[in-house]
Amino acid sequence: MSGIRIKNLRKSFGTYTALHGIDLQVPNGTLLALLGPSGCGKSTTLQLLAGFEAPTEGEIWADDVLLSSARGVLPPEKRGISLVFQNYAVWPHKTVAENVAFGLSIRRLPKAEIAERLDRTLRTVRLEALRDRYPSELSGGQQQRVALARALAVEPRILLLDEPLSNLDAHLREEMRYEIRQVHDLLGLTTVYVTHDQSEALVTADRIAVMKSGHLQQLGSPEDIFERPSNAFVATFIGANNELAGTSEGNGAIRVGNHVLTAPDRSGAAHGARVSLCVRPSQVRLFGAEQSAVADEGCNVLSGTVLRSAYLGEYRDVLVDLGGGRTLRAFVPPAQSFAPGSVVTALLPIGSCQILGPAA
Amino acid sequence: MGVISTDSPDSAAAAIARPAMARVPLARTAVFGAVALLLFLLVVLPFGWVLNNSFHDDLTGAWTLGNYARIFQSADLLEPLFNSLVLAVATAVIAVGIGVPLAWLVSRTDLPFRRTIRVLTLTAFVTPSFIGATGWILLAAPNSGWLNALWRTLAGAEAGPLLNIYSMTGAIFICGIYTVPYSFTMVSSALDEMAVELEDAAATLGSGTLRTMLSITIPLVTPAVIASFILSFIQGLTLFGVPAFLLTPTGIPVVTTKLAEFYQLFPPEIFMAAAYCMPLLLVTAMLFWMRRRILGRKQFVTISGKIRAGRRIALGGARWPAFFAALLLPLVSVFLPYAALLLVSLTRAWGQGLSWENLSLHWYWWALFGNSETHTAIVNSLLFSTLAATLCVMLGTVVAYIVERKMVFGASLFGAVATVPIIIPGIVMSVGFFAAYTRAPLNLYGTPLLLVAAFAATFLPIAYAHGGSILKGIGPELERAARSLGAGEGRTFLAITIPLMGGGLLSGWFLVFIPIIRELSVAVFLITPKTNVMTTLIYNAKDGGNYEAVCAMSVLLLLITLALVAAAGPLTRLTSARRTSRKTAPAEGALPT
Repeated sequence: MSGIRIKNLRKSFGTYTALHGIDLQVPNGTLLALLGPSGCGKSTTLQLLAGFEAPTEGEIWADDVLLSSARGVLPPEKRGISLVFQNYAVWPHKTVAENVAFGLSIRRLPKAEIAERLDRTLRTVRLEALRDRYPSELSGGQQQRVALARALAVEPRILLLDEPLSNLDAHLREEMRYEIRQVHDLLGLTTVYVTHDQSEALVTADRIAVMKSGHLQQLGSPEDIFERPSNAFVATFIGANNELAGTSEGNGAIRVGNHVLTAPDRSGAAHGARVSLCVRPSQVRLFGAEQSAVADEGCNVLSGTVLRSAYLGEYRDVLVDLGGGRTLRAFVPPAQSFAPGSVVTALLPIGSCQILGPAA
Repeated sequence: MGVISTDSPDSAAAAIARPAMARVPLARTAVFGAVALLLFLLVVLPFGWVLNNSFHDDLTGAWTLGNYARIFQSADLLEPLFNSLVLAVATAVIAVGIGVPLAWLVSRTDLPFRRTIRVLTLTAFVTPSFIGATGWILLAAPNSGWLNALWRTLAGAEAGPLLNIYSMTGAIFICGIYTVPYSFTMVSSALDEMAVELEDAAATLGSGTLRTMLSITIPLVTPAVIASFILSFIQGLTLFGVPAFLLTPTGIPVVTTKLAEFYQLFPPEIFMAAAYCMPLLLVTAMLFWMRRRILGRKQFVTISGKIRAGRRIALGGARWPAFFAALLLPLVSVFLPYAALLLVSLTRAWGQGLSWENLSLHWYWWALFGNSETHTAIVNSLLFSTLAATLCVMLGTVVAYIVERKMVFGASLFGAVATVPIIIPGIVMSVGFFAAYTRAPLNLYGTPLLLVAAFAATFLPIAYAHGGSILKGIGPELERAARSLGAGEGRTFLAITIPLMGGGLLSGWFLVFIPIIRELSVAVFLITPKTNVMTTLIYNAKDGGNYEAVCAMSVLLLLITLALVAAAGPLTRLTSARRTSRKTAPAEGALPT
């Protein structure tokens, strides 16, 4: 099998274990997003892939070449892996062209070829006009593109991107997402993209690996991750989510306080185990006391009082107190308005609910 | 087959799997080996020899504790210790007592000519204190001193001398005024760097100027004041030139001059001298440890804010009196001694008094071209200092890089070794290099290499600390980016790290070159007629009574030092100027993004 193969990768720093044995495959030509909160081990994984750290255990292969194992590490400069850094790491003492051509001159390519590849790369990221500028004269987005061009110019086997957009402002970030995806489609490079931003991952990636506390939680397509999360952590991390903690009653049933609710059970947990009922706020429907709750499909029914309601233009974000310290968020049509303190009935369509176990 | 294998074929393959290029490259080993060897030769070996020698008897060479016993039993050896402590305490009191108010006046108030006072104080900083002492001998020697002569013409020929520089008071005065710049610089930079917002915050809460000073400003600079007290104390304790010039003639011994005495005995008591270094080392080590603790805990002192805006405390009617008070230090540390040195160096024969016929550049011509001894010393000073500063900065930078990037296991040990010379007084360093390199197999006595190595070792801590602070400002990603593009460690260091350090490296070079060229005590036991330098020549020549030549040499050394200080700033700025291409068009910034 070709592409990147990560086998049982473990990394400890002293007594702290950053990675608890990760297995991952990135087929050639795909873009994998490593997604997770800070401290989840995604950056450690990237450092290991780039060859700046040695694994405590496990192996990293690229096609049929062993890159890293506990017994040794192929140094970064011999891996054919380019890395784009979070803070760009564009060299301030070199011009745009000098930055981009650096890797080419290391390879002792003929002058003509260097010039040709430099031009082509600058064109790819639309930096031709700025080639003689120094980085201090560039905007953040332009520096980001220099970093990308520098990484691409050497035609690496693998491209690594470490939170490449996190230092950009929100507007630019949104544009650059598509640009990165576009470059990927153009060049078809095997790419690993580290991010903590779920929408960045959803937009750019072919496959997403969700991580937490050094464990891989789920590996799958964006649709898999969003629609069929493997556990409550993934469900909550990707998109808005309600997580009602309870215990498994078996057979697709969960006890939440005094209620027994039903939902497709994807936890695989035994009777009595701690599980959660997860449902997206957009799927929850609310009815006031004067309205009669109408369900056209099987629904779990809960009642509560409105804690707060926020108008967000396209919908209203309503927080309902279910009693027993539990709350439920619902995104309802803006026309529906609820005053704080009013009693409501919440319908949770069974098909949109899932019973999920805790994070690995 | 019925045999159950515990090894799956897969894990067996994994056990032998090993990345192709995982071996440690030869070049890497060579560089680390060279650095370790240099550190060993420059720091560990001399220090080790001092320690080893201190336990041996000078006559028999046998293993003994007798040298240490002698220190505590002989009044002859205890008296210098006591005198050194007196000198050190008094120096520190003067340095802090004058330096702190001066720093406050310059950094915080509307004192007239603040910049001039700052520059003059810096001039005192770079003046070697033994040259200051030479100047003051001309001014205040009991009989011939000009100020005393002036006093006699005013008070009558029968009046005794007003001032006697050849005394403990005289030595304290000289050590004090040339140590003031240390405390001044430390405290004024603490005041300059202190965030103006911290004081503003107190003001917005209703605190008046005085209250703010007492409850915010003073507590914030206290660590700097204490640290400068400690540093001044060490200075007073370890100075060699000033006591050698001013106290030895009157027979008041201090530790450093007593050390020199051991070498002048016949036969020289070199092992005894080694043991006598230890009390000095113990005190300096303890003081540096204290200083580190004080500065380490109170890191907030250097929390930098904006460059202080124009708002300053108005001195009102006290402005001009304060200015004249602030001018006193430059007067006694720069104007008077420089004037004396300059005048004497320009007279053909000082004894004949001032007259036009007596004025000449004879002694400068003599020193530069006419006399092979002085000519050699000038060439040596420039050459050795250049080589030593270069070696020092190169080694310090590489060690700082290894430590900062944690390149090998135990990298911090490299850093610790490179820092050790900071606690070793120059005179002890001289003892150490004499001990280590005047014997086989590394007999370097009489070679330039010995002096270059001793100078480089003495100032290695400065180069190392300076290199480290520059490297802290260079993100490791800038280097990692080069690595991931195919550049090896060495190539990355040369193509990325060194250019990024740029002007900082040059300023580091000046930072060690200047103290090296004015250093006396390190060289004092190591020189031979062929390897004499300007400082040791001045030290040895002043006993000969040829004051005109001594003064001409002193003025030349001062000129070289001041010229370098003046050149350092602009040169450093030139190389570290932020790069911008000439065709900057701000409007073009709005390109398609």
